[in-house]
Amino acid sequence: MAKTAVAKILLALGASLMLAGAVAGAEAPGTDYGWPNLTDFLKQLIAKVGAPVKVYKLAMDRDGKVDLWIQDQAHPDLVDSWEYDHGAIEGPIPVKFDHYPSVAALDHHVIELTTIDFPRLPAMLATARTKLGLPDARVVFIELERGDSSGFISVTDTPIWTIALDSARHDGRVEFDLQGRVLDVDKD
Amino acid sequence: MSTRTELHYAFALAALCALDVAAADAPVAPAHPLDAPAALKSAFAERIGHPVNVLSFGFGEHYAQALVQNAAAPDEFDEYEAVPGRPLEPGRPKKAGEVDCRKKIAFAALDLDAGARALAQARAAAAANGYKTPDNVTLGADVFCNDFGWRAILTSDANDDAMLQIVWAPDGTSPKAQELHDGGWRKVDVAKLLAGSAKVAPAAPKAEPKTVAGDGRKRDFRRGIDADLARLEAEVGAPLGFKHIGIDRTQLSVDVFQSANRKRVSTWLVGDDGAIKLWREDDTIPFDCNKPFAAGDFPLAQLPDLVADAPSRIPPMPQAQVKDVAVYRSGLCGRPHVYIKLEDERGYGNVEYDERGRLVGAQIQ
Repeated sequence: MAKTAVAKILLALGASLMLAGAVAGAEAPGTDYGWPNLTDFLKQLIAKVGAPVKVYKLAMDRDGKVDLWIQDQAHPDLVDSWEYDHGAIEGPIPVKFDHYPSVAALDHHVIELTTIDFPRLPAMLATARTKLGLPDARVVFIELERGDSSGFISVTDTPIWTIALDSARHDGRVEFDLQGRVLDVDKD
Repeated sequence: MSTRTELHYAFALAALCALDVAAADAPVAPAHPLDAPAALKSAFAERIGHPVNVLSFGFGEHYAQALVQNAAAPDEFDEYEAVPGRPLEPGRPKKAGEVDCRKKIAFAALDLDAGARALAQARAAAAANGYKTPDNVTLGADVFCNDFGWRAILTSDANDDAMLQIVWAPDGTSPKAQELHDGGWRKVDVAKLLAGSAKVAPAAPKAEPKTVAGDGRKRDFRRGIDADLARLEAEVGAPLGFKHIGIDRTQLSVDVFQSANRKRVSTWLVGDDGAIKLWREDDTIPFDCNKPFAAGDFPLAQLPDLVADAPSRIPPMPQAQVKDVAVYRSGLCGRPHVYIKLEDERGYGNVEYDERGRLVGAQIQ
């Protein structure tokens, strides 16, 4: 792949973000999330699969491990998982579906990596804590996938960030669109 | 000893001392809580330290547990536990989303004397009627968030299906009893219960499942079932009228209409060692397809070849394995077809053959 393409993608990711530079281990209550180093992950990934990267689903867990499902551009009817655990990348891992989506459905479902504004994430996490009234809540998971939101901004079939948080007394989740607008707030 | 190890010991010692200091300040549960309900309540009150409502309270001689709601913050719930003779630990937060029912009483109204009386009454009823001695009673609502009160559940060693529930008002009055009967609850007269006139029903004799020992030969049913269907027919003693045949590597499952009553279906299982077992008998389902088919109505002899051939029918799944095979009437009670399910590392595929072994369809699921 041309170096310029990689550079463009990384620029889009916001190389300065580094998402806090791969803080290992679970976060302590009241501190920020131990963001995975997404820049490093995606740099390694692009070196292996090339551009474009079309995201079926992205999930980050409490410990900062990342599971990214992408459409295989050589076999666009297939989806592979790539895992990233504090610097170590593993993949492709075949994704198994109960009902395999058609190529057309996959083409529609995936999200072009360059359209994802990763630097918004820390602010979105702060917003989620504020909206839930849980300033010390910990991240359970952060996930991006196309879907529906029936919150106060009702949308269908659109990329949705879901930030799930918990505290000793409450669980909650806040949904955002790609622009970081809050779509829904749900607190137990 | 290295400096680092010494430091570890020092930290551990400090932590233990801190625990001891905390425990020394904590209220202690009475050694015999059922004989000292007021002391137990006082220990809980001191440990909690602020006004609360009680959502549930489990009470016995070995253990007591309270789920409380902060009266000043209705979204805050905590659990407290008491072990006889031990200091009460600080409360543990309980997530609001895990509290399904919020029926409650004020802590001041918690009547542990009533709980102790209810437990004594429950134990007397259990002894008089052949139930096991209950360990505790619990104050709270039922699973439908109704009927807040003290509740004892009685079970029996003699009958696993027996269950009797007694519920008292929070002040220990107005006991009501009901027993599990035919999948529902049936009222029981409390006076009769206390007089020992409501004995636990003996367990119904359970019929031993009909089984035929295996012949020791290991099978892979995907390679053929005709010999085992013949064995099963000999066991049933009549031609088999099939409703459904299920096949995987280690088990053959056969649903057959009973020859004496076509509205009943027996499910027979054949293990990979050849053992035959009558697993269950059910009524047929109205409006379901209840038209039997015979061994001659589907490609029984071809079955191993159809199974072996199935993966080649879906080219995008070259590494697929046969997961299972089923034979049943197609569509709306049509002819019996063979349905083969394939599996590879990415998903599933389905191959269908008709009653003569002709390919009907093959696709990724």
